[in-house]
Amino acid sequence: MSFSIKRLMAIFQKDLKDLYRNLYVLSTVLLPLVFAFIYGRMDEVPAEIQFFLVSLTLSMVGTFLQCAIIAEEKEKNTLRGLMLSPATLPEILAGKSLVTVVITIVTLLLCIRMAGFNPDHIILVIVGIVLSLIFFLALGTWLGLVTRSVLEASVYVLPIMMIFGMSNMFIGLKEDYAFLQVLEYTPGLQLVEIASLTDVSQSWKPLLIIFAWAAGAVILSVITFRKRSFD
Amino acid sequence: MSSIIEVTHLEKVFGDKRALQDLNFQVEQGETFGFLGPSGSGKTTTIKILTGQLRKTSGEAKVLGLPAEQLNKPEYRKRFGVVTDNSGLYQRLSIFDNLKLYAQLYDVPLNRIEEVLEMVNLRNEQKTQVVKLSKGMTQRVILARALLHKPELLFLDEPTSALDPVNSKHIHTGLKELNKLGTTIFLTTHDMSEADYLCNRVAFLHKGKVQLLDTPSQLKKQFREELIQVELRDGSQLELPLAPASAAELQGYLAADQVETIYTKEPTLGDIFVEVTGRELI
Repeated sequence: MSFSIKRLMAIFQKDLKDLYRNLYVLSTVLLPLVFAFIYGRMDEVPAEIQFFLVSLTLSMVGTFLQCAIIAEEKEKNTLRGLMLSPATLPEILAGKSLVTVVITIVTLLLCIRMAGFNPDHIILVIVGIVLSLIFFLALGTWLGLVTRSVLEASVYVLPIMMIFGMSNMFIGLKEDYAFLQVLEYTPGLQLVEIASLTDVSQSWKPLLIIFAWAAGAVILSVITFRKRSFD
Repeated sequence: MSSIIEVTHLEKVFGDKRALQDLNFQVEQGETFGFLGPSGSGKTTTIKILTGQLRKTSGEAKVLGLPAEQLNKPEYRKRFGVVTDNSGLYQRLSIFDNLKLYAQLYDVPLNRIEEVLEMVNLRNEQKTQVVKLSKGMTQRVILARALLHKPELLFLDEPTSALDPVNSKHIHTGLKELNKLGTTIFLTTHDMSEADYLCNRVAFLHKGKVQLLDTPSQLKKQFREELIQVELRDGSQLELPLAPASAAELQGYLAADQVETIYTKEPTLGDIFVEVTGRELI
């Protein structure tokens, strides 16, 4: 069956309308905006803070929103209805991700407007952010599929947000806690790595790492979705 | 008539529990087929296997000429509809918005929404938010959603269990009309009068096996006691054998204008179920 934009848009419009009335989930976008507002009042916002805001938005909005949307579909037994409709797996996943993508990008742009974002190699950084967004969305989808309710999802998503959303903050502690060095491989710190490159030809390595995260998370969420199609 | 569902030696095992064992039945195109059984007898498991939501352990299950597992593929999902007790709706959206999503997914014109809402007696409620609906109204919206794309085959798992008699009757009328238009209906229910009214044939499922399968009238004939029950005008009741030997006695009462009511003693489908399986249908 061919991919249908009409079905994708039907799911997107439904989710947008539904989310508009879901204040509990929608209020999560406020946190990155509040941080951006506070940091934005500084004379000059350090690059580390700007990248922290990007990672926080991607995880807080990208992962949590997606996770909550999918978990609620499961909790209210509506996901099975979609799975039994003519909508294909890519249409359902893309339709359900589109609303999160739109809200994440709008939140990111608002954060950047308030706190600024002017890294070196901006094009490469944007490519890295796009790949990171795919990773965070897929992670949110997977978490939503493995949890049974929005409440459970909001508990499970916390460590994820700590690890991937705040890695830029925790990495400063790596001298005291050696195990934190592993955070250097998170998408958030790979974005910093891209911006700090002196030789642009070396950018393939951090991009490849973020791509690997994204590909792994997409595969995981697709496998889990297929499994959830059966009881 | 050709078979729209063919189930042969179907088995489903969950761990060490055998949910379905050597299940055999066929559903003919255009009929309303009742699948009756108490909780835990395997009705929902059967529906899940037939709609591609659950994999069988062994045996064969063909639906619409295809192996049931293939119904999980999107291209075949337009051909059937499902209403189960765990079908959900989007609570924050209106009835119309819920149905609009599915009209778009099934590529059905939006004016079909009014038609199906009329069928379930909710035409004037289309702007109401689902969260404000009673359980019965929610059930009717779920049914309306399953009817949107005029499926060839409709699986209904206890469709009127939460409804009052007036709305049950409305749904029954709608299902009769739908069946007349050619939709085959596979119905599970506890309501024996519903099965009697709607179904061309019924199967009694107990412990994962079909115990009995026939038309309701044939089953009643088969299990009826060969008795005539007579109530006389003085309030007394008599039971006479349904045989030529009773003719003279019966004629005597009739000639003397003593008969208030007279009927053969027929069992209900519920009575037959208890007789066959030894347990109540709850």
